[in-house]
Amino acid sequence: MHFDLIVIGMGLSGLMAAKTATESGMKVLIVGKGMGSLCLFSNTIDVLGQFPKTTKMELHKQAPDVDSNVPRGEHPVPEGQFTRRQVIGPLGTGMRDNLSQWIKNHPDHPYSKVGLEKVEEALSSFLSLFPPPYSFETINHMTCLLPTGAGTLRPTYLIPMTMVGGTLVEGGNTLIVGFKGFKDFYAHYVADQLKSRGTTLSLPDAFHDEMTATALARRMEIKSFRERIGKEIKNQLHDEILVGFPALLGLHSPTQVKENLEEIIGAQVFEIPILPPSIPGMRIFNRFKQWLIHKGVTFLLGYSVSKATTKSRRCEGIEVLHPPKITTYSADCYILATGRFIGGGLKADHERIFEPIFNLIVSQPQSREGWFSHSFFNDPPHPIHKGGILANLSFQPVDEKGELILENVWVSGSILSHHDSIDEKSREGIEIATGYTAAKHALDTYK
Amino acid sequence: MKLQTEVLIIGGGATGVGISRDLALRGIPSVLVEKGDFASGASGRNHGLFHSGGRYAASDPEAARECMDENRILRKIAPHCIEETDGLFISLPEEGFDYRERFLRSCEKVGIKTTLLSHDDALELEPELNPNLLSAVKVPDGAIDPFALVLGNVKDAEEHGSRILLHTEIISLILDDNKVKGAMVKDLLHGEEYTIGASTLINATGAWANQFLKLAGLRINMALSKGSMLITNRRLTHHVINRCRPPFDGDIVVPNHTVSILGTTSIRLEEIENFEVTPHEVSLLIQETSKMIPAIQETRFIRAYAGIRPLFQSEEKGNDRAISRGFVLIDHEKRDGIKNLITITGGKLVTYRLMAEKTSDLVCKKMGMNVSCSTHLKPLPGASRPAGLTEQLKQFSIDKEETLCDCELVQRKEVEELLKADKLKDLQDILHRTRLAKGTCQGGFCVYRLFGVLHDLKMIEGDSSKALKEFLEERWKGTRPILWGAALKEEELIESIYKGIFNLTPTHPSPVEGEGEGGGARH
Repeated sequence: MHFDLIVIGMGLSGLMAAKTATESGMKVLIVGKGMGSLCLFSNTIDVLGQFPKTTKMELHKQAPDVDSNVPRGEHPVPEGQFTRRQVIGPLGTGMRDNLSQWIKNHPDHPYSKVGLEKVEEALSSFLSLFPPPYSFETINHMTCLLPTGAGTLRPTYLIPMTMVGGTLVEGGNTLIVGFKGFKDFYAHYVADQLKSRGTTLSLPDAFHDEMTATALARRMEIKSFRERIGKEIKNQLHDEILVGFPALLGLHSPTQVKENLEEIIGAQVFEIPILPPSIPGMRIFNRFKQWLIHKGVTFLLGYSVSKATTKSRRCEGIEVLHPPKITTYSADCYILATGRFIGGGLKADHERIFEPIFNLIVSQPQSREGWFSHSFFNDPPHPIHKGGILANLSFQPVDEKGELILENVWVSGSILSHHDSIDEKSREGIEIATGYTAAKHALDTYK
Repeated sequence: MKLQTEVLIIGGGATGVGISRDLALRGIPSVLVEKGDFASGASGRNHGLFHSGGRYAASDPEAARECMDENRILRKIAPHCIEETDGLFISLPEEGFDYRERFLRSCEKVGIKTTLLSHDDALELEPELNPNLLSAVKVPDGAIDPFALVLGNVKDAEEHGSRILLHTEIISLILDDNKVKGAMVKDLLHGEEYTIGASTLINATGAWANQFLKLAGLRINMALSKGSMLITNRRLTHHVINRCRPPFDGDIVVPNHTVSILGTTSIRLEEIENFEVTPHEVSLLIQETSKMIPAIQETRFIRAYAGIRPLFQSEEKGNDRAISRGFVLIDHEKRDGIKNLITITGGKLVTYRLMAEKTSDLVCKKMGMNVSCSTHLKPLPGASRPAGLTEQLKQFSIDKEETLCDCELVQRKEVEELLKADKLKDLQDILHRTRLAKGTCQGGFCVYRLFGVLHDLKMIEGDSSKALKEFLEERWKGTRPILWGAALKEEELIESIYKGIFNLTPTHPSPVEGEGEGGGARH
């Protein structure tokens, strides 16, 4: 079957590319073997949690641990510890200024290839898929800090409305709720770090055999279940004004779950990001899936691309494995958004890192000795993370000399080189911005 | 605080706890101090090969004979720590039969039972072996669980009146003229310092022997040799596999429960604390062991680790593999004129009991006592307990309890019971005594859960991020050398969780990264 565009990879970047292309009237196929890191790690939309050197931390001056002359590359907020007086609110200057400074300092970074205007366009395009009630919000267009499942605080940017309450946590004003038998969240652990109170609810019946985040999220959508736990929490509430839950307040109607719980408990409810899988990430995925299928995109989930056929600098088709048979699909243009090692976009044997579908050039340290630093935490980010596919300003794959390798292929998402998304706290921002931009470039060429 | 005892033993490895048990059974009071946890040195950092003596039969018949004798005794007194797998010494085409003939003759001389297997018989026993092998010699090698062995000795020693103090370090010796009267020690968990008076001191610190002797102004001629090992994520063979050639790098594969351990390298060290395994060593081990078992090329690894062998040198030799693996017992009264001080070092895990016996004999002689050893006759506690499949399966029955570790199926109930019984303070102590963090994810998930349980039980309060980071930093030493393929994927997951979702950041400010882009990356 022939398409205008084939997107390989169903993470946030691939989904954004498919959305962008289909909005411009392209006939799109999106194929992916899984749901990408979206459903593992993405709870909120990180854009840039690490601040450029020259940013002034004016709003944060009152915090005792924060030095306003923070060197570049070092996050100014100590994790896990903050005083009673310290308010977790918006941090630093606005995101627009942060990004603009970042782009100036990092000319090879994917954000710099996208450009400030397009990053903002891309984020708006993402936001347009999430109208209220389940909308994404910022705290005054600044980076904010949210509590995590390890009781630490992490910087992020766009947050779902179910998490907004987390920015208000201040020693003693919050009750953290966990569930007995659910092993991926520990209320007392989190509460001890946040200097709050924790409680672990016992759930009745033989529910124990399926105590997973997805099972609990489904349970949360049952009214009688919510009422039972809501009443129990109300009984245990002292003078706390916030109640924090692990992020599993329903897959399909989180707003309703949140509001209903607030009604019963009489305090503001919020979600805390936890170990994978990510229920909030699944909500994002499901929304894209529903929207793309509705718009007529061909959505092939669960199949992996085994091979691409190329001829004189052009991709002519891809082979998709549907065991026991192989189907060939072709298109005018292709977007590679297969992620890094978890997604299978990059692979490594004990000598080198390679890209398995197109065998594109992967920028990488000289040898395996150089992939990782000696210390897990205390050295600069592991050099392997900056490795990835080399791309030109239009996100087309190039070789070391900058020569175009394939003229109808674009690359987007975390597979690109020259970013440290874990350290920068920029994963979703890069995925959204590059997915959007790669699709725009493909459109420009094939209009 | 001040303690008084007859014998003060320094070092909680197999030798130290073996002496503690031996003396206890002879009715001699003792105190053992260990600066870390049990088996923190070579006792816990080896491949778990339960030597028949075959490996040393040709090069060091005396050590081989000791191994053989102790092998027989341990089968009787510690059957629950040993898996009787037997071992195969396989001959590959590149070596031919030269060494095999010498090997067979040497084993015969030492008294090690051998069976010669043809190419076909060997492959029928172990289908994963290199199909080009020429033949194999079967010997009574096996696999041993060093930690269970050490804990068994500890239990018996304590039941017979010995005292054992973990996380306690020797700071200085109390000397009166040329006579040792005891030591000043420090409780590393609480910071308290106190003295332990004793009429005899035994230095059973293994590779740390010279660090300890420095306190008395002494030094022995000992080489430190780092041996690195790799753990696969599945059991490759049922027998221990050795290459039938003079001992060299990468010629041992030992099965251990559900995994196999590949070993070893031998690298001379000047400093003791360097336990790091380099990617180069990993590549060497894979290259060499895969000549015996080709599937190793494609196998996933769980972890790399290294131990330090204390090798006593009676004379200078260039090659550490040529130094005797036999042990050495030094009476410092005879050697240096320092009374009441004994050093025991070298040896193999398999000969720990014999080393303890000879040391205790010397103590008795010095005390003018005549009590004989009985450790070779009395089984260790738990020795009669069957460690069979049925019992192991019982744990995994239809119990719907919370499972903390999905890799090794460790249940929350099991961990809680241990925590309540032992009042363990140190995270590594807890990990040593459970299967937590031993599986494929190396604690990536279950250690977070362990912190959750500790907070639930109110065993820790306040900031746990520092301890969590310390664990991840320690874990990194084992995983960093083996990151490619599936293990690399897992690492990306773990890093995305702890540095990403949980935002754990550097303890010290990281050095400012290089200007511009692509530091370390090739363009």
